[in-house]
Amino acid sequence: MTTLAMGANAPLSGQKTTLTVEVLGGSADVTALQLYADGKVRGDGDMCFFNQTSIGGGTVSLSVSGSRSSFELDLGRIAQNVEKIVFTAALEQGTFGSVSGVKVSSSERHELAVETAGRSEAALILAEIYRRNGQWKLRNVSQGFNGGLQAIAEYFGVEVTSAAPTPPPAPGAAQPKPAAPPPVPPQPAPKPVSLSKVSLTKNERTVSLKKKDGRFGRIQVNLNWNQKKKSGGLFGLGKTGIDLDLGAFVEFKDGYRNVVQALGNSFGSFGQEPYVQLKGDDRTGAVTDGEWLEINGDKWPEFKRVLIYAFIYEGVANWAETDGVIRLMVPGQPEVEVRMNEVAGDSRDGMCAIALLENMGGEIKVSREVRFFRGHKFMDEAYGFGFRWTAGSK
Amino acid sequence: MAVSLSKGGNVSLSKEAPGLSKILVGLGWDARVTDGADFDLDASVFVCGESGKVLSDHHFVFYNNPKSPDGSVEHTGDNRTGAGDGDDEAVKVNLAAVPADVKKLVFAVTIHDAAARSQNFGQVSNAFIRVVNEDGGKEIARYDLSEDYSVETALIFGEVYRHGEEWKFKAIGAGFEGGLGPLAASHGVNLG
Repeated sequence: MTTLAMGANAPLSGQKTTLTVEVLGGSADVTALQLYADGKVRGDGDMCFFNQTSIGGGTVSLSVSGSRSSFELDLGRIAQNVEKIVFTAALEQGTFGSVSGVKVSSSERHELAVETAGRSEAALILAEIYRRNGQWKLRNVSQGFNGGLQAIAEYFGVEVTSAAPTPPPAPGAAQPKPAAPPPVPPQPAPKPVSLSKVSLTKNERTVSLKKKDGRFGRIQVNLNWNQKKKSGGLFGLGKTGIDLDLGAFVEFKDGYRNVVQALGNSFGSFGQEPYVQLKGDDRTGAVTDGEWLEINGDKWPEFKRVLIYAFIYEGVANWAETDGVIRLMVPGQPEVEVRMNEVAGDSRDGMCAIALLENMGGEIKVSREVRFFRGHKFMDEAYGFGFRWTAGSK
Repeated sequence: MAVSLSKGGNVSLSKEAPGLSKILVGLGWDARVTDGADFDLDASVFVCGESGKVLSDHHFVFYNNPKSPDGSVEHTGDNRTGAGDGDDEAVKVNLAAVPADVKKLVFAVTIHDAAARSQNFGQVSNAFIRVVNEDGGKEIARYDLSEDYSVETALIFGEVYRHGEEWKFKAIGAGFEGGLGPLAASHGVNLG
């Protein structure tokens, strides 16, 4: 075996080569993309994936067995205008930092070392084969995109829509089959293109979202939690549920600061300062989709930072049981989620700073915080917004 | 048409561009397109004497010491991302003013913070070094390193050296382990 480190390359001597990809401890869509001189695909016909297992007149074909995806490459017959074929893996959820390993090997006894520890990417370009002086070579690329499948698809010129992918040609239409065809396996249900999610964890604390024009549109923040239902309890009998309130400390570059939360009826505004608005208040957690906050992302260039927090207005401060999750949805960006249940859930403090959004050169840097405080004042002191605090109620 | 060199190849700059006095040595690479830390490549020049070592520590021209003591070699600035077309970093050399005891100028590129960022030259696309006649801006020689490197984090791209009365340029493409510190030490620089 020859081990190829990240960035290393090696010539492929055979006319036919098989490249095998296996993602361990994660569910991934493995795809080969045929690229031309501009580094892009020309259409769906250049994508070899689970739903289209043969492209280029059979020069690239995929067979999947369990978690292993094997691409057979008929190097000598690949169309001359194909410059490169990249092999990508996109996780259905999480990042490569959370999988237990990625194995890539070739039938020419190359083993590609893919480091996964600490990686924030949800999709990786694992390897590529490319022409060099009339010969095909293999390179360990091991680079990718936090934005997952959509980002990788856009980069290579693949149009991603929410519609199901084009169904493969009917069997037999293109390739005449011998008299006794093997039994046709049941057609897998067309899988919609899954857009990977970025999950910020204790190990992967930050992600940066960028947009060319710096305007992010309507950013939605959702806080949801599970209301603890005790067996035998009757719905609506007594108020035993936990009421989590969602709020935000907002600071602008020009020094303007504000607090957006239900307490004190400070619901904010989407169209004017603070350009952050709380949408109603779920007092019981019974409304299934929790609480929503909207940030006017078109004003992001003026923002300095937004601290998103939750506090327990009524009920016991038992964060482990609330199972709270914050989801941040920015149009055209991967969804970012922060879960609160993986912290040591024994904090009795009623306030949790969950996520900090910072304007870093126009990008939104999202950091997982999940820090507990006794109240607004203490959290403010920790983050240095500098508000003046008086008791309030709603 | 510029002379395109392969690894190990050389060309006489004086013959290609008669009357040549000032050159610009441009180094370039493609900015990172994937997510992760930018590729911050730094160009350095070792202004060497007969021994192949720098004449003094001040003859190590890099981002913290942009000019050689006599001013004949000048680094034009640090590009931290590789963004933009053409040269990402450039070094101006006034060949006519280079002191006689200088025998060669070694041009190296290192990846800043490579170990911490898990980066190497194999991940960097379209790295090149080119020599341009500053008078008129015509490219004299170019060396595309694309396949001559992989897991290195420091590379000697090429050297401009005296050959009798001529100045020549040689495409080196040699990797060096350990980054800028060891590379500088090997050229006789005393590092603080």
